Amino acid sequence: MKTAKQAGLARCGSCGTLTDRPGETCTVCGAKTYVRRPNSLQRVWAFWIAGVLAYIPGNVMPIMVTQSVAGDSPSTIISGVIALIHHGSFEIAAVIFIASIVVPVSKFIIIAWLALSIQRGWGLSEHRRHLAHEAVELIGRWSMIDVFVVAALAALIQVGALMSILPGAGVNAFAVSVIFTMLSAMSFDTRLIWDGSTPEAEGLNVGH
Amino acid sequence: MRRILTPGCDLGRVDEMTRFWGRIFKQQAPPSVARMRAIDHLNRTLIACPACDAVWERPTLAPNEHAKCKRCHTTILTNKHRSAERTVAFMVASLVLYAVAISFPFMRMERSGLSNEISVIDAIAILANNSMVILAMICAGLILLFPLLRIILLLFVGLSLFRKQSTARPHALSFRLAQMLEPWTMAEIFMIGVIVSLVKVGKLADISLGPAFWGMAALIVIMAFGASAVCRDTIWHDIRRVP
Repeated sequence: MKTAKQAGLARCGSCGTLTDRPGETCTVCGAKTYVRRPNSLQRVWAFWIAGVLAYIPGNVMPIMVTQSVAGDSPSTIISGVIALIHHGSFEIAAVIFIASIVVPVSKFIIIAWLALSIQRGWGLSEHRRHLAHEAVELIGRWSMIDVFVVAALAALIQVGALMSILPGAGVNAFAVSVIFTMLSAMSFDTRLIWDGSTPEAEGLNVGH
Repeated sequence: MRRILTPGCDLGRVDEMTRFWGRIFKQQAPPSVARMRAIDHLNRTLIACPACDAVWERPTLAPNEHAKCKRCHTTILTNKHRSAERTVAFMVASLVLYAVAISFPFMRMERSGLSNEISVIDAIAILANNSMVILAMICAGLILLFPLLRIILLLFVGLSLFRKQSTARPHALSFRLAQMLEPWTMAEIFMIGVIVSLVKVGKLADISLGPAFWGMAALIVIMAFGASAVCRDTIWHDIRRVP
């Protein structure tokens, strides 16, 4: 078995067309073709750093402010989770905690681990790293839940002087952090994981 | 709009379209027909894995068969039965449900005699008016704009495949864009967010759900079916084909 790179070919990242002239525009879909995504790891790190930087104010600053007769009460992601636990809605608290804390933090760790494993040449299992990347791509978007919770609450609870909910500045930072992390995961070229391995299998598995 | 009735693609038209493309993507030389034939030939015989770059002989698949890369186990080729028909059907249904989801009231809130009924568009307008323009823009894009754009693009691509019309350049651009939009359509995440917010509000006010809520709920299910009906490889293969 050969890789496209070894065969002097390049696979278009958008439409999958193979070309024998890497670097040229894909004749089928118009995207730029390349053997490996240019500066893949630099992009990964750039978006990663932006994501981490935005994640801090996203957690420290209030994501929403409840204005009522009793006064303003700002709440952060964590204080929202704690309030839900006090109300007894453990499932919902778990959803928010996982989507806003566990998923983003593990994403930061996994992406950094993947990028470092390639830069430092750690001889880790390709399959495991490949699965980790797939998981990050699949689950990452779900961190947006809390942003939509705040948006829905802020839009709905607008009863003038009685009570209203306003989004806090933290929610913007948090949304931006999720977007940057998604971009970071997307910039990662999984072929880099496999470049270090020696392929031996022959043929495709065809089946239902 | 001019219809191209020849199967495959009209080569005069291809030249014209590639020049058009060249201007959009700031590239000068459009590929020659010979070049397109060479690419077509190369891709009829070989296929590369998107995840690990292994090159394989391109297999001919029976309907509903798929091929997995032996090296990394990624599915690299599918042949979904009646993909175009099903894509078109699901996208038409999505378009109808989308209209329901944005035009009817989404939720209604009541507290101490005051009530508030909003549609999704009202909700975004409220955010924008309360100086939360960034949040409003993010929501409008991820919940309303991108899903709609994706539905329309897939409908356009599916319809032309379905009618066995030429699948030339405009379809390539449309399908590329539809693919790019996939991770950025978040209507399903929004729905989970809404359900969480209902629980949070629960004790403060009476909430009732409007028809748009159920429209949106149906929309995300139908869009998921539609996404799984799309057969990427067949579509790109048809677009690539030179007679």
